[in-house]
Amino acid sequence: MIIRQETCVGCGRCQPYCPTNAIHFQDLKSTVDQEVCYECGCCLRAQICPVEAIEESPHVYEYPRALRKYFSDPNATHALTGIQGRGTEESKTNDVTHRVGPGEVGVAIEVGRPNIGMDLKNIQKITRALARAGIHEIEPNNPFLDMIQDPLTGDLKPELIGERVLSAIIEIQVKRDRLRHILRTIKGVAREVDSVFCLDVYTMLEPGLTVPPEVLEVIESEGFSWRPNAKINMGLGRAWERKNS
Amino acid sequence: MTHSLHREGTLDSLERDYALFIYPARGFNYKGSGPKVRRIMELLYLKAPSNMIVSTLRRNLYSGVRPEEVLESIQDGARIYCVFNTREKLKEALSGVKKLDEGISVVVSGLSDRVRGIAAEIGLNPHTINLSLGIHGRTDRLPPPDIRQFTTMCGHGMIAPALVRDVIRRIKKGRLNLWDGSIILAAPCTCGIYNPNRSQEMLQELVPLYTFHRW
Repeated sequence: MIIRQETCVGCGRCQPYCPTNAIHFQDLKSTVDQEVCYECGCCLRAQICPVEAIEESPHVYEYPRALRKYFSDPNATHALTGIQGRGTEESKTNDVTHRVGPGEVGVAIEVGRPNIGMDLKNIQKITRALARAGIHEIEPNNPFLDMIQDPLTGDLKPELIGERVLSAIIEIQVKRDRLRHILRTIKGVAREVDSVFCLDVYTMLEPGLTVPPEVLEVIESEGFSWRPNAKINMGLGRAWERKNS
Repeated sequence: MTHSLHREGTLDSLERDYALFIYPARGFNYKGSGPKVRRIMELLYLKAPSNMIVSTLRRNLYSGVRPEEVLESIQDGARIYCVFNTREKLKEALSGVKKLDEGISVVVSGLSDRVRGIAAEIGLNPHTINLSLGIHGRTDRLPPPDIRQFTTMCGHGMIAPALVRDVIRRIKKGRLNLWDGSIILAAPCTCGIYNPNRSQEMLQELVPLYTFHRW
């Protein structure tokens, strides 16, 4: 995002809207720190500028800066997935897609959220740790996968290092007996990451909204706990298209 | 949207906060989903959600958008995001969607025990759960928990901690009331699950605790 300096009246109203504090005063005008800005567009959508000085940067859709927008602006549709946002349908449509079936778990590592964002080298620390641990089952439909240059080492494309995004999600799907190994690997790399990440585990339920005990046992024994609130697919969906349509 | 399960706050506050999503699946029930989603939207609208948005328009309930505009925007693949501030409203909404039986995935984000109770009462058999194992890494860099309970209500992290502090400051100065402050905070959330009713309650608790020197 940019603020046209010749138009800005320096009222500062836009500044609190920036999730990453990229807008500050310079010479009595508000200006966007291009290094820090995630291109999320929050300041523009707020329509708070009395003189309409806020604009999209002319370079916002140029690679690799465009990744900032795709992974930070919820209204941007990623060119690869055709889906708004930075993830997939994951557990939300699992009653229809059966992506995570009986005896399987999905793990989502959302790096950068809440509130902090990240330089992509932080997500590389996690992908490298996962690759070293032999964990390669990364969800193929997640737009993040396109950032990886070498799945065997977990290295990202070199031109991306230094780019910043509000968050990106590593999604993994494995058999339940691999969950312990994954959680242990994530715990090991957590202290190396110079940002935050949210960790999710999704699995099919047993009758009566009962979480499979073996999943809970692994989570607990690896030193993690789960929050009382969760995202629950209510099982009301059904498919009517051919799967490959 | 993965983030809705990471909403923070006290148990008492989360008792009045249930996000609900209607989600067609690409390649499975996407084609022809438009009219079905529209019927669900009409039903949910009448159940008085605290906030609501359709993915094809991305304007929340408080943006001045007319219901007809929202309904007209719905096409195949449209998703509905909404939030209810009572267990009873959520139960009525789920019960209605079950009765419509449109075959589109329905997801609830909220306290698991409460959702379990509702599912048993109306005869639903939930399929998949997404558990939050919390926040890890440099948690020392996070804003304090009292600010995060506002910012985590947006599924995409669009509510800036600085905006929460700014609203608190303006309420303390008498320039805003609690509800108007909550609507300002709800505006950047383009996924429509920021709950202004819960936000109003939280602001009421928080405003006396903040002093001007904190920003």
